[in-house]
Amino acid sequence: MGTVYISQEDAFIGKIDERLSVKFDKKIILDVPLIKIEGVVVLGRATVSPAVISELLERSIPLTFLTENGRYLGRIEPEVTKNIFVRKAQWQAAGESPQAIHVVQGFVRGKLKNYRQILTRRQRESSDIDLSKKITQLEQAIAPIDTTHNINSLRGLEGAGSAAYFGCFNQLIRNAEFQFSHRLRRPPTDPVNSLLSFGYSLLRHDVQGAINIVGFDPYLGYLHCDRYGRPSLALDLMEEFRPLVVDAVVLSTLNKQLLTPADFITEPLSGAVSLTPEGRKTFLRLYAQKKQSEFKHPVMGRKCTYQEAFELQARLLAKYLMGETEKYPPLVLK
Amino acid sequence: MKDELKKKVIVSYDVPEDKRRTKIHKILKSYGQWVQYSVFECQLTETQYAKLRSRLHKLIKPDTDSIRFYFLCACCFDKIERIGGEQPRDESIFFA
Repeated sequence: MGTVYISQEDAFIGKIDERLSVKFDKKIILDVPLIKIEGVVVLGRATVSPAVISELLERSIPLTFLTENGRYLGRIEPEVTKNIFVRKAQWQAAGESPQAIHVVQGFVRGKLKNYRQILTRRQRESSDIDLSKKITQLEQAIAPIDTTHNINSLRGLEGAGSAAYFGCFNQLIRNAEFQFSHRLRRPPTDPVNSLLSFGYSLLRHDVQGAINIVGFDPYLGYLHCDRYGRPSLALDLMEEFRPLVVDAVVLSTLNKQLLTPADFITEPLSGAVSLTPEGRKTFLRLYAQKKQSEFKHPVMGRKCTYQEAFELQARLLAKYLMGETEKYPPLVLK
Repeated sequence: MKDELKKKVIVSYDVPEDKRRTKIHKILKSYGQWVQYSVFECQLTETQYAKLRSRLHKLIKPDTDSIRFYFLCACCFDKIERIGGEQPRDESIFFA
């Protein structure tokens, strides 16, 4: 099962028999059986035939629209599952409840521990750089998590930890052609930030899909507060995966020199930096490979791919909120 | 659905009439990969297989046409040797 990425501008997405067919310039450029598809992502502008929309809904395949630079626009997805018990538990835990505090602790701990893991590994690999100060800062943010029972303070710890991590992100890049000074969004104005933003958009498509399969309401989160049209729960569950999936792909792409400055273009007015169509293809492929790579899940004790882990974590979250387990274990990898 | 749970099927067909053969070819393209003239490799769940079989069954004339489904176990499927021709397609990502 795979995800279809359509980045050809002005492509026509239609249906032939039980297949998705993408046409451009009157030629078929892609023809895939629908049974092999688990998600469709359109980057930029494309025409989607009405038959495709109803067929995708019928088969519970989400269709996500991103701008060509990867900014999230929205998605068309089937009815949320009928599992009312999951949603009920989710709503009952809303606000400053003990469960909400517990899961927020989990999300923040997961993210920061994975950040620390990236830094300590980098530190081990090369003795010429000194990350110990930043690692200490991260540890200072991690240590009080379990004794902090206030969501706003937990947000503060997350911020402090992220600041420490992004403060030395540049030293994780072993490629003289790329520099990172600080995290910039809307729009990202340098290649590294642009890759990070693009990666997080792709991750959001995947995590939101997993949340829907499990039966959650994606718009009610705990770490991220409610805002109109913001899938807060997807953003919550994304936290622990950001370093594991996106940051890891971005770093390996840059460090293995799979992209060069020539793969990026700058928009003259806003200074927004984005990938060229060729560069985008390269990055999409690397992201997909990462998603399909296997690791041993520390809680389940068996091999799984990141793609499966999105759903596994969502299920663990549901189990906790419904009172079937004592704890929510965030995915932390050594 | 994990790949291990899927049936691995080689489908071959022999249909003298062009129009009907094209139709069969089109249906099979929605379920698997075309590897040679009149031969497809498919990985299907029980339901998908049942649906495919019933669609084909409705279409063919049993006295002149024939379709065969050869099932392979997962480890035999991995051992298929291919010289030239279509290689298995990467199904984790599709680009356009």
